[in-house]
Amino acid sequence: MVAFILKRLVQSVFVMLAVAFLAFSLFKFVGDPISQMTGVETSIEDQERLREELGLNDPFFVQFARFTGDMLQGDFGYSFRTREPIGEMLLSRLPATLELGTVALVISLIVGIPAGVYTALRPRGLVSQSILIATLIGVSIPTFVIGILLIFLFGVQLGWLPTYGRGGTVEIGWWRSSLFTVEGWRSHVLPALTLGLFQLTLTMRLVRAQMMEVMRTDHIRFAIARGVPWRSIRYRHALSNTMIPVITVIGLQFGGVIAFSIVTESVFQWPGMGLLFLESIRFVDIPVMSVYLVVIAFFFVIINLLVDLLYLAIDPRLRVRESV
Amino acid sequence: MMVLNMDKCPDTLPQAAANHREGVMFRTTFSAAAIAVSTTALSAFPAAAESFSWAGTTDPQTMDPHAVNAAPVLSFLNNIYEGLVRRGPDMGVEPSLATSWEALPDGAGWRFTLREGVTFHDGAAFNADDVIFSYERAASEASDVRSWFAPVTEVVRVDDFTVDFLTAAPNPLFPGSIANFMILDSDWAAGNGAELPARDAENFATRNANGTGPFSLAGRDPGIETRLVPNEGWWDMAEHNLTEAVFTPIGNPATGLAALLSGEIDFISPIPLQDVEQVESRDGFKVLSGLETRVIMLGFGHDHETLKYSEETTDANPFLDARVRLAVAQAIDVATIDRVIMRDAAEPASQLLPEGLSGWSAAHAERPTFDAEAAKTLLAEAGYPDGFSFGLMCPNDRYINDEAVCRAVASMLARVGIEANVNAMPVRGYWDELRSDNFDMYLLGWSPGTFDAEHPIRFLAHTPNERLGTWNFGGFSSARIDELLEPIQQEIDEAARQAMIDEVAGILQEEVAYVPLYTEPLIWAMKESVEVVQRPDNFFMLRWVTVN
Repeated sequence: MVAFILKRLVQSVFVMLAVAFLAFSLFKFVGDPISQMTGVETSIEDQERLREELGLNDPFFVQFARFTGDMLQGDFGYSFRTREPIGEMLLSRLPATLELGTVALVISLIVGIPAGVYTALRPRGLVSQSILIATLIGVSIPTFVIGILLIFLFGVQLGWLPTYGRGGTVEIGWWRSSLFTVEGWRSHVLPALTLGLFQLTLTMRLVRAQMMEVMRTDHIRFAIARGVPWRSIRYRHALSNTMIPVITVIGLQFGGVIAFSIVTESVFQWPGMGLLFLESIRFVDIPVMSVYLVVIAFFFVIINLLVDLLYLAIDPRLRVRESV
Repeated sequence: MMVLNMDKCPDTLPQAAANHREGVMFRTTFSAAAIAVSTTALSAFPAAAESFSWAGTTDPQTMDPHAVNAAPVLSFLNNIYEGLVRRGPDMGVEPSLATSWEALPDGAGWRFTLREGVTFHDGAAFNADDVIFSYERAASEASDVRSWFAPVTEVVRVDDFTVDFLTAAPNPLFPGSIANFMILDSDWAAGNGAELPARDAENFATRNANGTGPFSLAGRDPGIETRLVPNEGWWDMAEHNLTEAVFTPIGNPATGLAALLSGEIDFISPIPLQDVEQVESRDGFKVLSGLETRVIMLGFGHDHETLKYSEETTDANPFLDARVRLAVAQAIDVATIDRVIMRDAAEPASQLLPEGLSGWSAAHAERPTFDAEAAKTLLAEAGYPDGFSFGLMCPNDRYINDEAVCRAVASMLARVGIEANVNAMPVRGYWDELRSDNFDMYLLGWSPGTFDAEHPIRFLAHTPNERLGTWNFGGFSSARIDELLEPIQQEIDEAARQAMIDEVAGILQEEVAYVPLYTEPLIWAMKESVEVVQRPDNFFMLRWVTVN
């Protein structure tokens, strides 16, 4: 078990190095950081001096080696745009992204799983059909359009919910949370719905398909024949068997939710890492972009690892195989 | 909405300064719409002091007034820090930390008499040492604003409240050119290790501020929120009625608009032109639109031997022929661009700076008339009766509707037979492309930082070298203009100076060095209850904001 985790962690270092390399080699196409860092009146000489000081004139491999060397020593460098230390910057933005992602995930599970079960058990019911059609619309509209529609309906027209930002925050150590204030929760509703909608429909459809599949398997048929109560068949025997592939997909999707909350964060001016990444692109803030991508790669690795471990916990067969 | 023309500067200047202001004073005829003060008010709110929340697209990247010479930073920090002089609602230069200034004999420089009894936000007293320190800091190699001090040879402390800025040559524009030179407290900066602007790693002044201005920094969360509170001990009389002012950057225009319409913020700038109607149609909101000091123009590759992006092989670059450049100018119907793309908010431009700024040449107010037939004739005369194709470079996120303007220009040029292949890109890579000469024609907007005609001559018209003509991407070159730049910078007699500027404007028009299109509009949106002053440089000054 420990060896398994260690092996995965070592692999993750290589994944992150590869991501850093790819990201780094693409950045020269993003634009020129110096023209974003200086004013129109700055002389060419002064621009060149800054370029030299920041090491932007060095060959690609020298820059890359310096970047990875510093990263390995825990030095994430400084932002070109604000000159802040990047580690601190990302860390201060991390809670916003994680909290939003988690709330979105919880919403998608709380709504998605029951809806999936319901539509699987009553596939031809009117309610099931309406839910399916509604979710079809949900997946086919792009996230930013959904976000803006929600903002204009609930924020501007009805005035029920805030249109942007995180609302009130509470500091718990370095973690700045907006889950402990009413205003913070109100601020979560629209972005979490926007972010979770795709996840929700995916969960629902996955649960539905798996559930229908499982309901046709032999062990369920035998259970029915034996006269096991319906409730027990559905929720004890059938549902737990549906959950294994569902957990895999949801787990992997959560990585995506964290990484690609960029659009939602931009639409709601949600001060998370995604918004920071967007701002960094706009200003060609290469160090921040690089570190962000590496950190996201790290998240993916960790989430995959957790999914694997969760497998072990849920599926007894895997545990047996592992011990053999 | 009522629009007032604030023609008169508040006449509070001491006489000594007033005499010397003549040379540097702004022409006060900048179009009425640009300097508009909204005067309507909503009676739903009591007329008491208010907390004010405003948004813009870009967060000021630093609180250090010498680290980045960019409008979002300088505009924001002008609420916290102050210079020796400042600009009023009509852009006129008025006293700030200096009560008066006068030219030294023989054009040796300028003497500033400092205001006594001014304190910084932390309580420290302001005096000549702070000016000297701030000068040394702002003129250092680590500073991004050091070009302002290029003419300065030395700064001399005469006494506690008198400072001389010595210049190598007479410099009538100098006081106005340092309106954004902000003064730090020397002890505060030195005591906190912020003697120099942050270069790579941040320092104390990046996130903290200690100025003398009307507001002090109460909280800074970069990229999220910046909180200001009024400075109770400010030397000047406060015209605002705010108890607190909170800035939030909102990058997405639709989000910003929603935040305004839902009432969460009181003011936003800018909003997209296409949203103006929506804001105006709602009760309780208004739009303030005026003209910025920015002229949008087309530039040519004057030093390109051949076209880079032509589909057919042409021997020479057709734009080397002034007749072809004139044909381009005549083929573009600026009035239609203004009406269709800019919703009538822009103003056609004839020169590299907008009408009303000092040095604008009244003798060259005419822009080439729109005449497609004449353009075709000119092209035929120049040897291109069948036209040619070329590449038009264009930013797509820098100016208002910039890409749409380029596409309109391309379709207008197509009507006279020349085919522009538009290549639009984000501004973050745009300047680099232009510096690498990757264009045949390009779109550029220019707002003169000194609000004087000398500025675009220095940056856009002078033959490019390390220090001058640094934004003259096309390499336009005129020996006469190069020769005139220095006398224009040094001439004290206004009529003689204007004559030289007129000559430059004439050469630029005759040569069609650039094709000025229009002056860009400024679109601000706010609650009906908010009153602001829209300065044409797009600086948002909290000291003029009142909330009713």
